[in-house]
Amino acid sequence: MNSKQYSRVYEPNLHLKLGMKIWIQMFAELIQHRELIWRLFLRNLLATYQQSLLGYLWIMITPLVAIGTFVLLNRIGILNIGQTDVPYPLFALLGLTTWQLLSTGIVAGSNSLTSAGALISKINFPREVLIVATMAQTIFEFLIKFLFILILCGVFKYMPPPGIVYFPLAIVPIFILTIGLSLIFSLINGIFRDTANILNLMMTFSLFLTPVLYPVPADKIYYFRLNPLTALVNAPRDLLVYGHIQQPMDFLISTGISFLIFLLAWRVFHLVETKIPERL
Amino acid sequence: METQITVKDVAKKFTKSLKRSMAYGALDIFQSSLGFSIDSSQLRSGEFWALNNISFDVTKGETLGIIGCNGSGKSTLLKMLNGIFYPDQGSITMAGKVGALIEVGAGFHPMLSGRENIYINGAILGMTKKEIDAKFDEIVAFADIGDFLDAPVKHYSSGMYVRLGFAIAVNVEPEILLIDEVLSVGDLAFQNKSLQKLSALREKAHIVVFVSHNLEHVRNLCDKILVLNKGELVYYGDPHEAIKYYKDLSNESETTSIKRVDGWGLHMKHSSGEFNIIKGCLVDDQAKEIDSLIIGQDIIILIEFEVNQNLEDIIFSVAITEKRAFACIWQMSNDSNQNNVYHLKKGKYRLRVRYKSPQLAAGTYVPSVSIRNAKTGQLYEKLYGYLKPFQVKYKENDHIGHGGILHIDHEWHLHRQDG
Repeated sequence: MNSKQYSRVYEPNLHLKLGMKIWIQMFAELIQHRELIWRLFLRNLLATYQQSLLGYLWIMITPLVAIGTFVLLNRIGILNIGQTDVPYPLFALLGLTTWQLLSTGIVAGSNSLTSAGALISKINFPREVLIVATMAQTIFEFLIKFLFILILCGVFKYMPPPGIVYFPLAIVPIFILTIGLSLIFSLINGIFRDTANILNLMMTFSLFLTPVLYPVPADKIYYFRLNPLTALVNAPRDLLVYGHIQQPMDFLISTGISFLIFLLAWRVFHLVETKIPERL
Repeated sequence: METQITVKDVAKKFTKSLKRSMAYGALDIFQSSLGFSIDSSQLRSGEFWALNNISFDVTKGETLGIIGCNGSGKSTLLKMLNGIFYPDQGSITMAGKVGALIEVGAGFHPMLSGRENIYINGAILGMTKKEIDAKFDEIVAFADIGDFLDAPVKHYSSGMYVRLGFAIAVNVEPEILLIDEVLSVGDLAFQNKSLQKLSALREKAHIVVFVSHNLEHVRNLCDKILVLNKGELVYYGDPHEAIKYYKDLSNESETTSIKRVDGWGLHMKHSSGEFNIIKGCLVDDQAKEIDSLIIGQDIIILIEFEVNQNLEDIIFSVAITEKRAFACIWQMSNDSNQNNVYHLKKGKYRLRVRYKSPQLAAGTYVPSVSIRNAKTGQLYEKLYGYLKPFQVKYKENDHIGHGGILHIDHEWHLHRQDG
C-alpha cells in the first residue's frame, strides 16, 4: 500500500489555495468514489421500496394521478387545455416526466445532506457523493417512466419520429440544472431547515407557470420564453412529437444557463464542504 | 521512523447557540463561495475554542491514546484527524490510509440486511467491491452474527450491530486507525476479541489512535498518551505519567465540583445547639489551609468551633470519608491509648487532628466530625459531607494503583506447582 497516495493535509481555507487545479481534484474525487456512489444509490433504492406493497409502481402512480386529474378537468370542460399534436395523456406524461426529473430531483437532493446526518458527522468522504447518489435515483425513476411512455405510445398506436434517438441528450441540460440546484439547496438546507418546505412550494408553483401539462398558447409565447425552464421541458417533448426541437435558440441559452449554474454550484459546494459537518 | 501524523498549532472553535451557529454558517458559506478566505483565528461573539494550541507527532508503529474529561475535546480532535472537522488554525498532516471507527454502524441502513450493509459500509469506508468480497467471510466470522446475516439490521441486538460495524471497520486495513470509545460497548468476549485485533493491527506497523474512558485499555494498548483538558493539551508522552496526570486532574475537578454543589454521597447534619462548627479544613504543618496532599503525607484536620455553655466529658471523632460515603479513617479522641476527654468552657476553640502517614489511594475525600458526651453518649453535633473536600495526589514517579482505597507497596511471586 502506498502511503503517499493517501496523504492528506487539513488546513483552514485549504480549498481556496488550489486555484484551477481544484477542478481536476473534484473530478478525480468523484471518479475515485464511483463505487460508493453506486452503493449509496442501491441502498437508497432498495430502502425506499423495501417495505412498500406496490414498490416501484409508485414511480408511475403519482404522475398518472396528476395527469388523470387534468384529463378529467379537460373532459368536463372546466379547464381548456387546447389542442395537442399527440394524444393529451402522452403529451402530459412526457412533460411531467421531464419536469419531475427537476422537481423530485431538487427536493430529494436538497435533503440528501441533512438526511445523512450521522454519516456526515462520523465518516469522511466527499459529500458530493450523497447528492450524486440521489441524482442517480432520480435518473432511475426517470428511465422507468420513459419506458412507460414508450409503452403508452404503443397503446395509442403512435409511432415516434426518428428524432427520438436524441432524447437522452435533450434531457441532459435539465438534469445538469437539477444537480446544480441540488448542490446549492442541500447546503442551504443544512443550515436553514426551511429550505425543503420552500422548495416544495416553489416546485408546485412553477409546475403551473411552466408549460408542462399544457401546450404554450400561441398568443402568450413571449411570457413563456422568459422562463428558461420552458425550453428545457419542451425540447425533449418536441423530439418525440415533431422529431426536432422547435425553439433551438431558447434551448441552447437554457442549456448554457444550466451548465453555468452547475459549475458554479459545484465549486461553491466544494469550497463549503469542509464547513458542513459542524453546522449540520 | 517516519512521522505519519503531524498536528501543528491546531485550533478549532464552536458556537454555543444554534441561532448564532446558523448565522455564522451562512456567513462562512457566503464568504467561501465568493472566494474570500476566512480569517478564522479570531473568536466571534458566542464562540469558544473547543481545541486550542494542539501540536503533536505520531510515528509509524505507535499507538496513541487520547484521554480527558467529558467535553475536553477528545472526539473533536479525533474528528479533525479524520478530516471531518477542518481546523480553524494550524495544520494536520495524515500520511497514510485513514480508517475511522468514530461511531460503528454509522451509515447502516436499518431496513437493509447485514449482507447489504457490509457492502455499503465497506464502500463508505473506502473499500472496493473486490476488497469486500475478499474480506467478506472474515467480517462475518468476526461479527459473529450467524443467521442474522440476511435479516434487516433493525432486528439486530445492539451488540450485533456494534460487532458488525467494528468488524467492517477493522477489516478495511487502514494504515492509521482512529477509534472513539467503541470498545466500551459489546460484551466481554467481544471486547477481548477486539483488543486482540487491535494488537494485531499494531504489529503490522499501523498507527492506532484511541479515545477511551477505560484507562485500563488505554494503558495496555498505548505507547503514548495525550491528555486533554478543556481543549488544551496538558500532557503528552509516557502512558503511566499521563494516566496519573489525568487521574489527578479528574479528582481535582471533582473536588471543585463538590465545593460548588454539595455533591457528596451522604449528607448528615445534626446539631443539638450547644456547638457551632465555624470551619473544618485540611491544613499543613504550618497550620495553613490546603486542599490537597500527596499519598503518605500526614492528614491534619483543623476544626474551629464555638460552644455556648460550659460542657464536660466531651469527646470528638473525626472521620475521613471517600465519595461513596465510606469512612476510610475514623478515630475518636478517647481511644484506648489516649483518653482525650475534654471539659469545655463557653467560647471559641480550635481542634487539630493529625493522622500519621496514611496510605490512602489517590482520590477525593471529605472530613467528617462528630461531638459527643463520653459519659451519656449524648450526640451534640454531627457533620457528615458538609466540610471542605480535599484531594490526595500521586507522588512523583509513583506507580498507579489499580483501584481500591489503599495505596500500598507490593511484591509478586509466581511459582509453577506441578513440576
